Amino acid sequence: MPFTDREILETVRMIELETLDIRTITLGISLFDCADPDVESACEKIYTKIVHHARGLQEVGRGISADYGIPIVNKRIATTPISWVAAASATDDLVPFARALDAAAKACGVDFIGGFTAYVHKGFTHSDDALFRSIPRALKETQHVCSSVSLGTTKAGINMSAVSRFSEVILETARLTADQGGLGCAKLVCFCNAVEDNPFVAGAHIGTGEPETVVNVGVSGPGVVRAAIAKLGPEPDLLAVAETVKRTAFKITRMGELVGREAARRLGTSFGIVDISLAPTPALGDSVSDILELIGVERTGAPGTTAALALLTDAVKKGGAMASSSVGGLSGAFIPVSEDAGMIDAVRVGALSLAKLEAMTSVCSVGLDMVAVPGNTSAATLTGIIADEMAIGMVNAKTTAVRIIPVPGKGPGETVEWGGLLGTAIVQDPGKFSCDVLHRRGGRIPAPIQSYKN
Amino acid sequence: MTRFLTSEDVRRANSRVIEVEEGTIVTPQAQDTAREMGVVVQTRGGTYREPAPSRGPDAAFAQRSLPHLPEPPAEGELASFTGVVVTAAGKNRPGVLSELTGALANSKANILDISQKVVEGYFHIVLMVELPPGSGFAQLKGTLECMGGPDDYVVRVMHERVFRFMHRV
Repeated sequence: MPFTDREILETVRMIELETLDIRTITLGISLFDCADPDVESACEKIYTKIVHHARGLQEVGRGISADYGIPIVNKRIATTPISWVAAASATDDLVPFARALDAAAKACGVDFIGGFTAYVHKGFTHSDDALFRSIPRALKETQHVCSSVSLGTTKAGINMSAVSRFSEVILETARLTADQGGLGCAKLVCFCNAVEDNPFVAGAHIGTGEPETVVNVGVSGPGVVRAAIAKLGPEPDLLAVAETVKRTAFKITRMGELVGREAARRLGTSFGIVDISLAPTPALGDSVSDILELIGVERTGAPGTTAALALLTDAVKKGGAMASSSVGGLSGAFIPVSEDAGMIDAVRVGALSLAKLEAMTSVCSVGLDMVAVPGNTSAATLTGIIADEMAIGMVNAKTTAVRIIPVPGKGPGETVEWGGLLGTAIVQDPGKFSCDVLHRRGGRIPAPIQSYKN
Repeated sequence: MTRFLTSEDVRRANSRVIEVEEGTIVTPQAQDTAREMGVVVQTRGGTYREPAPSRGPDAAFAQRSLPHLPEPPAEGELASFTGVVVTAAGKNRPGVLSELTGALANSKANILDISQKVVEGYFHIVLMVELPPGSGFAQLKGTLECMGGPDDYVVRVMHERVFRFMHRV
């Protein structure tokens, strides 16, 4: 037999018991050629072009799943940032564009479409300004659209005026979707050093350097890494842990590489990247928090958590980089609080504070993700939280993001159920001290010096 | 560049017949407007049909280069056939192997290798199978994975290429 029983059963076990799956096949579609001075025509073109290219996406995903026996959970679409496409229309209201994206997603049978996006890390165009104004209503009126904004980069610094405005956008979005626990904010994310080939929502979009169409694949497998470390046991040293994670990440990524190539072939387009993020789900065992605890902290958030996460993220990247020449996107470990049963548990028992979470984001692959704060959190406090996160990304030349939900009517310690993949959140306390002056000042935090590192 | 014909274009054309270039995408809204206004949209060759998606300048190159990306080689007979790995696990009872091999024979699948272990009343079977050209993997998978049951045994069918990618460099 070309494979040993052990190899075969290992793979089967990963899929059957350890929830290994291809989390998403995301088709990126450039919308540059949809720009039109007439809003209605632009929206028509956007809808038509997306459906034209992505009509077969579900079928291709199902086909690969059937032909290889690999579960493929989501098929999604990422587009050119709408603020660039809508600029030609010179309109103040970009909600029609969101509706066009939403209708296209529905027609293609995908659950999420990313691209209601603006890049404002240095400043606003008229179109960016319109997009910011339109985000709350766009997220209220649509089901499938995800929105993202770039607020800072290591090369440009942080646009603090944009951060302050974005805080207001978050609050307004939460207010408009109050009947769903502020769920609109779960589809809204801001970035420092935004990734232009990210297949995962809510930040999925394709940037200026991307081709006309491209297939990006997101693989996930916290359950597999968890099982591998559990099998290793508590005795071996940390080099052994890193080695185990690396080997496991290698295998997971190979599956992503196979599916990426196959999806690109079947769709007749180019294969972009495999994103090898450990993306947890509320499912039992599919938890990054569990991995950290198996590495050696009593509860996630305890002293040592940041070090454990640093080891994990790095080892995932190293294993993945050996397995595919097309590693990209966010690649590493996600720590979305509400989507990871272990993390929610850590919050519940008081092990994981917002401050510790922020420290962890300096070594994870994304940032503050799916964090619930009280509904009456001020815009200034949100500005402070976002600015802190952007600063971590800017100075460390890494991607950081904030997806934060001020849950209307809820205070610290209260629970909110969003259900499905979004899971359960416990509202976290951002503290009682404010940063009103910082919020009001606006302007820009200059780009950091890249030399004299210590 | 994708060329579009929008409903606004139809309204502005002020003509009973609009001839679009090959490769133009007529939006559904434009088709509706044309129908309402009694306008015929056609290509030089005749009736308009939505063109096949043009995936962009990189796509053709990718389609040429993708098959040449190195991949772990298939060994022996599997190089020319579709290799399938069938695993089954569950409570041991007489007839399990015969049920599985019977179903494989019905699908004209050829068993290349087989291994079975029983531990404390539970078994697992691994079968390496080749499918003749033209016979459907999805169909075989459907048939086999419906066998057994929650209190009996479960079957998993996967393409051999998955294992090759995962366990061979």
